[in-house]
Amino acid sequence: MDRRDALAKMFSAKGVRVDTNRGEAYYKRLRETMERRLSELRNAPAATKMDIHKVLEAEGLSRRDFMKWASAITAMLMLPAPFTPLVAEAAELMNRVPVIWIELQDCAGNSEAILRSDAPTIDELILETIDLEFNETLMAAAGHQAESHLDEAMETFKGKYLCVVEGSVPVGAGKEWCTIGAKGETFEEHLQRVAGSAAAVVAVGTCATFGGVPAAAPNPTGAVGVQDIVKGKPIINIPACPANPANITGTILHFVLTGQIPELDHLNRPKFAFGYRIHDNCERRAHFDAGEFVEEWGDEGAQNNWCLYKMGCKGPMTFNNCSIVRYNSGTNWPIGAGHGCIGCSEPQFWDKYAQERPMADTEFKAPTGGVEKSVDQFGLGLLTAAGIGIAVHAAISATAGKKDEE
Amino acid sequence: MRKRVELIEKIEGEAEVSYTYEGDRTVDAQIRFLSGRGIESILTGRPPLDALAITPRVCGICGHAHLIATVRALEACYPELRISPKAEAVRELTLTLELLQNHFKWLYLTIWPLLFPRESVTMKAVEPSRIAAEAIALLAGQYPHNSYAIPGGIVGEITPLERLGVADRLERLWEIFRREIADVQMQAFLRCDRIEELQRKEGDFPRILREILDRGWERLGCSHDRFIAFGSNGLFVSGKSLATRITHSLDLRHLREEPVEGSLALHVLYRGKVYETGPLARAMLRKTPLIREAHRRWGDSLPTRIMARVCEIPHLLQYAMQLTRDLDMDAPAWIDPGPLPAQAQGTGIVEAARGSLIHTVEVREGKIAEYRIVTPTQWNLGSGPADRPGVAQKALIGLHRDDQAELIFKSFDVCSVCTTH
Ligand code: SF4
Repeated sequence: MDRRDALAKMFSAKGVRVDTNRGEAYYKRLRETMERRLSELRNAPAATKMDIHKVLEAEGLSRRDFMKWASAITAMLMLPAPFTPLVAEAAELMNRVPVIWIELQDCAGNSEAILRSDAPTIDELILETIDLEFNETLMAAAGHQAESHLDEAMETFKGKYLCVVEGSVPVGAGKEWCTIGAKGETFEEHLQRVAGSAAAVVAVGTCATFGGVPAAAPNPTGAVGVQDIVKGKPIINIPACPANPANITGTILHFVLTGQIPELDHLNRPKFAFGYRIHDNCERRAHFDAGEFVEEWGDEGAQNNWCLYKMGCKGPMTFNNCSIVRYNSGTNWPIGAGHGCIGCSEPQFWDKYAQERPMADTEFKAPTGGVEKSVDQFGLGLLTAAGIGIAVHAAISATAGKKDEE
Repeated sequence: MRKRVELIEKIEGEAEVSYTYEGDRTVDAQIRFLSGRGIESILTGRPPLDALAITPRVCGICGHAHLIATVRALEACYPELRISPKAEAVRELTLTLELLQNHFKWLYLTIWPLLFPRESVTMKAVEPSRIAAEAIALLAGQYPHNSYAIPGGIVGEITPLERLGVADRLERLWEIFRREIADVQMQAFLRCDRIEELQRKEGDFPRILREILDRGWERLGCSHDRFIAFGSNGLFVSGKSLATRITHSLDLRHLREEPVEGSLALHVLYRGKVYETGPLARAMLRKTPLIREAHRRWGDSLPTRIMARVCEIPHLLQYAMQLTRDLDMDAPAWIDPGPLPAQAQGTGIVEAARGSLIHTVEVREGKIAEYRIVTPTQWNLGSGPADRPGVAQKALIGLHRDDQAELIFKSFDVCSVCTTH
């Protein structure tokens, strides 16, 4: 494969491309499914008494704020704008779908991120209307009480609830050392039990999806992800460290809307969130293309927000929508603050990407099979001959564009 | 002799306390942490700078303190290193914001539900913690888990717009404090030493205080009356004290960690003694008038401890506001420290929300040969044998009601994910 082809492949890797227009027939069918599902939910008993509008009212938020939020989420879920009222209704019916949230071997960072999730309304949505039956971080009840609450919730909503899991599962030597709950179960037993009666399992954060930092070499506790343990259940992975709350809410809403799990990529990640490459939507991309790189912290490039590739940015290897959704109510994201992406939504980021060195200086190969090396040379080439570089890139963009149209 | 095991649920991980009673009073309380990830061994063998991305992930609650501790430990590996006042101030600012959001959350998610279980106040925790996190994100990219601080300074430039955004959010946090917690004037409050004055104000904190006094619990939860704080900055002073007798010199060589049977957390001692760390220790060392007064009246008890943490909020806010105002925008963000020495040792100290956090890194042949993390919860919730109880342990002894025990335990604020790391 010559270098240009390799680059073209890297920047337009198929399979993960987001298909945003799927033709009228598709959306018609989808709309029907959703309408059917919502009318079922409307007639189902509420799992909690919380009424979203009361919650919003109490917080001084208007119907308009709510609809604004709903239209943003509609776009995020890659649905056409006319779907907004359906999404809004799904949010209203969220209290019909029970969610049981369990925390395994983790740092509590995802619950933490959720606590201050998106737009003003989402916190309320998550905390009050979605029936978070059992969130071990949020629940104020003490251990034994919480335990019986969990049993009760599992029994009542058997086969219907979404089991959201935060944290990895230690299965290595000494796993009996790590126990959870009043029954002294190992993490694995606890997960099997709660996931066993769930409709689907949502693994939130890179620990729960791929093992995360606890699985970093030498993986002292033998940490693995939920998908390595739970079999025979639909599993949705929402990696990133921490997972973006918008993507968690989006996934849950999608489940409420359709009763199904969203379309997933080869790593079980929802495409609406992980169909984007950081690098393709990065605000610094123009500088990459122009061969303008930060060469050392604090230099002219750093002051002018140039590309961080040479400072170790892993954006070209990473799929996630942070560049679009951002973090902390859309306030910012790591590259916005001048630090390269560390690839936290990719498997093994903890060993491969979580450092300041550019890929060429590490012993790891990029998943695209060595292309990385040429990208690096490409970057260096650009620097010495920016003009040629731009021409090369233009050619690549053209190829990439064509691939898209196929 | 009766035994009772209480699981302290998952505010930031899980801990188990087993109480031993004689008659209806507790004579011993053993605290165990039941899961860990082995972060120190994960760090061993990696290039030193890699720690910058790993250690914030020790904890989702106070991960920023871990980042700053790591940066400081790495910087201490250089024989000489200068960072600009701007970089230092921005780091202090993001750190202070993390303390703030922890304090708000602890008050409303941990303490409040135990005193007023029927009143749900989750939103009172969520709003300020979201605002504080946004302010951190403006400067550092995201919260939790960012890696914007590096040896030599910080990675990005701070624009006037970001500074304004931070200043605005600090104002909003102060408004929330006045609206919800206590309706006081900042300057007067910082100097105030009259508890009655505070008690008469509108707000949730005066209500909490009245509730504890009405229940007659003001003398509960007394411990060793020994305090320690290793970190110092524009707000805090380091040192240790026995009640009000303060010594400022501390030597890290006297720090010792001890394994605890059946627990993954290590017990930590200074010169063979246990010490309380955290907001109460900091207030005692910097002689905050109101807290010294509470200590004079009630000792190192439950209301003093709660008051110390809540009343740290205005001090932190004022400090953060001042840092934002005085930020020297023209100073460089990063000053090249040169390559990290291949053989070196460094210690980084940070005052985190729950107390002193200490990271020590040993670099050999350009790789991390050893990494050691000592967390605040190890001090406060470390578990010793019955005749040498730790801080929270001592506070739990002699109680005869379960609800008192839970409140006292949580007034120290458990962070078990940090503790076992
Ligand atoms: S900063 Fe990173 S993601 Fe952005 S353009 Fe450069 S390499 Fe790509």
